[in-house]
Amino acid sequence: MTRLLSAEVRKLWTIWSTYVIYLIVVLIDLMFGFIVAFAPGGRHRGTAGFVPHGSSQWFVNVFSVLDNSRLLALVLGVLIITGEYRHKTVTPTFLAEPRRGRVVTAKLGISFGAGLLLGVLTMLTGLVIGFVLVAVGVHSCLSLAGVSQGMSQATCAAQGAVHHYYVANTHDMWHDWSRIAPGVILGTGLFAVYGLGLGALLKNQIVAIAVGLGFTLVVESIIVAVWPTIGKYLPGEAATALENASRTSFGGTSTPLLSWWEGAIMLVIYGVVLAYVGTVTTLRSDIT
Amino acid sequence: MPTIQARGLTKRFGADVLAVDHLDFDAIPGGVTGFLGPNGAGKTTTLRMVLGLVTPTSGTVLVDGLRYRDLPHPTNRVGASLEASGFHPARTARNHLKIIATMAGLPFSRVEECLDLVGLSEVGNRKVGGFSLGMRQRLELARSLLGKPDILVLDEPANGLDPQGIAWLRDFLRFYASEKPPSAGDGRIVIVSSHLLSEAQLIVDDVIVLTAGRLAAQGKLSDLLGGTKRSVRVCTPDADRLVQALRAANLPAVMQDGYVVCEGVTPEQVGPIMVENRIEVHEMVSSTESLESLFFSLTGGESVEPGQMAPLGDYRRFNDGPAAPPAATSAPVAPPAPSPAAGPVAPPAPSPAAGPAAPPAPSPAAGPAAGPGPVGGQT
Repeated sequence: MTRLLSAEVRKLWTIWSTYVIYLIVVLIDLMFGFIVAFAPGGRHRGTAGFVPHGSSQWFVNVFSVLDNSRLLALVLGVLIITGEYRHKTVTPTFLAEPRRGRVVTAKLGISFGAGLLLGVLTMLTGLVIGFVLVAVGVHSCLSLAGVSQGMSQATCAAQGAVHHYYVANTHDMWHDWSRIAPGVILGTGLFAVYGLGLGALLKNQIVAIAVGLGFTLVVESIIVAVWPTIGKYLPGEAATALENASRTSFGGTSTPLLSWWEGAIMLVIYGVVLAYVGTVTTLRSDIT
Repeated sequence: MPTIQARGLTKRFGADVLAVDHLDFDAIPGGVTGFLGPNGAGKTTTLRMVLGLVTPTSGTVLVDGLRYRDLPHPTNRVGASLEASGFHPARTARNHLKIIATMAGLPFSRVEECLDLVGLSEVGNRKVGGFSLGMRQRLELARSLLGKPDILVLDEPANGLDPQGIAWLRDFLRFYASEKPPSAGDGRIVIVSSHLLSEAQLIVDDVIVLTAGRLAAQGKLSDLLGGTKRSVRVCTPDADRLVQALRAANLPAVMQDGYVVCEGVTPEQVGPIMVENRIEVHEMVSSTESLESLFFSLTGGESVEPGQMAPLGDYRRFNDGPAAPPAATSAPVAPPAPSPAAGPVAPPAPSPAAGPAAPPAPSPAAGPAAGPGPVGGQT
């Protein structure tokens, strides 16, 4: 199994599409992060009304929008298995390891790892965004201070205020980040596992990506809106449950969510069950 | 000692397609075995069943007495190259091999050895997407050799290779099959499927001929060809006199495509008659039956693929201008060969002698090195 895992790592890092996905994640994170940060009256997940810049809720909103990275983790998981079929590398793979279940198991492991890495990258990007926001806050604080106070006193007072603002804001930011990060990272990793299971079942790359994204973005939202009691067990909501646990103290959510460990279990079940069904049905079929 | 044993091997796709039908064969070590058959005969399906990629509907095929998927170290035992398409286009050749080496627990030095062997080490860091078909074939061969296997299974390995590459492959496979490492006993098993019969004739020692999913013949190529008849073909401006002279000597001479063709005789019989009659000779060719004509007689000359290519007679009528409309039921070019022999090692039935009623054939090849005759007709 060690050999299979290291072969899977090598497969992942010897093609450019993997790097492209990671790059896209960073770019999208930056885009969404700043949009949420500076959109007037940024709202997120049930919090209503305006969120003052620099408040703790501001950071929560910015960080929790980054959980959209899990959609790319899903794509990554799908690619890890359907790419083999698309390029027929599945033939040499199954020649070298004819026990197909072992190959899929190795891929489950590797997609979890790759998804976690993607989550870590996302939250590191979030941290960069956070520091930029603090700096922006400091800057606006400085100009405010410069306008409202006399020159000689101003320098001294402003420095004190800014220093205070900076410390408090950094503390808030760090506090929110460390609460949200574990849930986002774990959710991203498990979503890659879910994507792998979907890919194992459907085999066709385009179909699997379309089904995965379509279900998460459209079908799931409808089910959540219509039957929240069922909806909370669906993958996207289960992943949200992972982070929600870390911000229960901030506002509430409009829909019921599972507890974080229930969410994690649901995601593992989705990935493993889909991959298992895929292994015994489609993957057992003839490679022609 | 390597073995491959198929017993009652059957594969059905869906309800209609019986791709392989109760196939029994044993691969013979120490030589190159040609796996031959028309398109759709079940060659590739059979090879994929050997390799565990396709599950037989019934019957078994065992490698070293085990199913492929039960082999403890498949890469070290069996090297297989199927189609030259199992590559990620964005991955380099070297990385492609390293991945397989990692899976099989082989050192990367073996990757370099195999790249060197097939002459790809200089382009090893280039992406496979930019490779020609020939380079992909060589990369496939390198992959199949990674584990120094005692069994090589190659599906159409000469496809896309240039003439030097084909010659190299021929020498290499002969050498590889004859090598006798301790693990191989009597030598290695090398199975090569091909539809290029003239090429296969140069490489293979043994043949397994499939037709419509069944075994049409198996055995030593020399034995299968040995039972066939010889013929002599002469190009001469004095054709009529030669035919008369040969017939006078009780030799069955006929005119065919402007050549005098004499079945079942040797050049030693024909030569003296020509000298005696002072007949000018431009070309004289003696031939035994080729693998190609043996193949047609075994397989009935028909492809199993849907549709049949138009008889050449139609094509010529069409091209020669406003002649008669094409006959609705013109004879196919291939001789009406006997039905595929049912017995596993049936000797090849000779095709019927090409009499005067033979269907029109393309204009005679003019070159002095004219090989075995056109489609279907033995010379």
